[in-house]
Amino acid sequence: MATVTGVREEIVPVGGGRLDMRVQVRGSGPPVVFLHPAGGFAWDPFLETLSEQRTVYAPLVPGVSPADPDAIDEVRDLFELVLYEQEALSALGLEGADLIGASFGGMLACELQATFPGMFGKLVLFSPIGLWRDDAPVTNWMMTAPEDFPALLFADPAGEAARAMLTLPDDPAARADAIAAATWAMGCTAKFVWPVPDRGLDRRIHRITAPTLVIWGRDDALISSVYAQEFGRRIKGARVELLDGCGHALHIEREQETLALVRAFLA
Amino acid sequence: MKVAMFQQAPYRFLPADFEQHYAACVTPRYRELADTPGITATIHGMLDELLLGARSGFDGVVLTEHAQAAYDITPNPSLPGAVLANTLRTEDIDAALILLGRSLGKTREPLKIAEEYAMLDVLSGGRLVAGFPVGLSYDANINQGIPGVDTRGRFREGYELLRRAWAADEPFAFNGRYAQYAHVNIWPRPVQEPHPPLWFPGSGNPATMASVLDEDAAFVLLTWLGVKVGGQGIFDRFWEMCEEKGKEVNPYRVAVVQVCAVAETDERAEREYGPWLERGFHHGLGSIPHHFFLQPGYVPLRGLQGMLRATGDPGIGARLHEATFAELAEAGCVIVGSPATVRERLEAVCRDMKVGNLLAMLHMGEMPHELAEKSIRMFAEEVLPHVQGMWDREGYEHRWWPTGIPETAGAVA
Repeated sequence: MATVTGVREEIVPVGGGRLDMRVQVRGSGPPVVFLHPAGGFAWDPFLETLSEQRTVYAPLVPGVSPADPDAIDEVRDLFELVLYEQEALSALGLEGADLIGASFGGMLACELQATFPGMFGKLVLFSPIGLWRDDAPVTNWMMTAPEDFPALLFADPAGEAARAMLTLPDDPAARADAIAAATWAMGCTAKFVWPVPDRGLDRRIHRITAPTLVIWGRDDALISSVYAQEFGRRIKGARVELLDGCGHALHIEREQETLALVRAFLA
Repeated sequence: MKVAMFQQAPYRFLPADFEQHYAACVTPRYRELADTPGITATIHGMLDELLLGARSGFDGVVLTEHAQAAYDITPNPSLPGAVLANTLRTEDIDAALILLGRSLGKTREPLKIAEEYAMLDVLSGGRLVAGFPVGLSYDANINQGIPGVDTRGRFREGYELLRRAWAADEPFAFNGRYAQYAHVNIWPRPVQEPHPPLWFPGSGNPATMASVLDEDAAFVLLTWLGVKVGGQGIFDRFWEMCEEKGKEVNPYRVAVVQVCAVAETDERAEREYGPWLERGFHHGLGSIPHHFFLQPGYVPLRGLQGMLRATGDPGIGARLHEATFAELAEAGCVIVGSPATVRERLEAVCRDMKVGNLLAMLHMGEMPHELAEKSIRMFAEEVLPHVQGMWDREGYEHRWWPTGIPETAGAVA
């Protein structure tokens, strides 16, 4: 993926100076917060385009930044992560900002909204994890062999979107670092969802008061689209949109449709 | 040199072409592959072979912990360990019980390990070697559900708790990050003074080796690749670090696993054991997918970058699923042959790497019980007496071997 220009990083001390939250920022216009999925953060085409009209703030889960991998040791559990995220967003003056969360980030966005009802703006969820049905278990992505990842994330694993996201650098060292970074990011985020991505959100999700849009790919192989309705009926007034021919990484695979839905909803 | 018998409990009746039909030996369905006669023969065979080894003059018996896997059905080595411990005591066999061991990175009950080890030390009459593996990634992270990033932190904290629990005169409260106990006052305590020998299995990570030396514990290279292949570069580094830290270079500081098999002649040994050893590698470590060893978070980012950036030939270790017996023998992963051949090769590699504790693995995979017994007997009779004296002339003191119950141990006044 080509390097995206105009990105800056805010370093925000949280937890009484215990650790720094790193927040990537790009664009102009009203702020929107993007909470990244389990595999880490990248300025993908969706976010790049979104940042043309909005200022996108992307807080990284501690440890996910290769500049400070040990930061994950300073976060004990999901509750602390939620507090640190809120502290960082508040410090950046982002109370009232809309939240978009993808997959793991979707769960985190729900936790923020449920813990601090009314503090943030609208809520957009891209195939979030966080709920559990025994009859539709979330695929164990940690046990998935690397070669099976494309089919886990995309309805069309051979498609252009999948290739653009998953193609690794040619340079062997850069390639090694990219795999290491994604693996470590999954390790950091797993701390809050492993081994079963159910940390009791079901018992708090009713506290969410924000207008909510839930988007899901009908062909999601990681977490079945039956969960779209699970989120939809638990969050009062939530709107649910299902995308045809679309897998888990929906804002990559259906970038334009997702952008249109998000822009209209946040307008 | 101390020579102990290293034993795992692979399911002994996997189909010959197992690796062609199953992606991994750490996930196959039990009821599809195992049955009652098979599992009974597997577990009983493992114990009977260890007992034979202990009764035949081996200096110790060694067990490991692996859950939910076909290649080592020992979810808790303290259980067979207890059987062995009692036998050592009742038959007055002067052999060590070496557990490599209960995993503090995997467990959610660290205090239970402190108690189990203490119990085994009592049961065996002070013959326990307490091993402290971090735990393999698939076992700690997948089987036990420990987040990868917590594995090492849990290990360190659990070890600290265990040492305090063994040593403390007064009950104490333990406010750990992963474990909290309001009242730690375990019964029994180990009977060896001040504690059983501490052995730390590892795969050669420099940070691990440094902490082993700092702790003045023994380092165990826990590998199937053998002294020569597995130890390449690692023991050199270990002895360098030992000198840098001003510690005595003493072969008894290290232990390593070596697959061996003995028959009347080289030709016969190859014919009788070769096919079983080859299958054992294919169906065992050769059938564990790479990513099961490296669950996200288990290896810190910098270490992972180093591993992935490493160029060059990964060697036979990356081909265990298809390596032939000839290749395994040529590389030195297995030392197989007549007693003279096995003696000579063992002495050469152990002297070269300064190994003071050899853990001989004499059964693998689906090798039949009778054949394993033959190898154990021949090794005990014709190899052991020759290699046991290997370091005697140098006069090293073995400070990492169990002492039995100290004669000075008395009653509470």
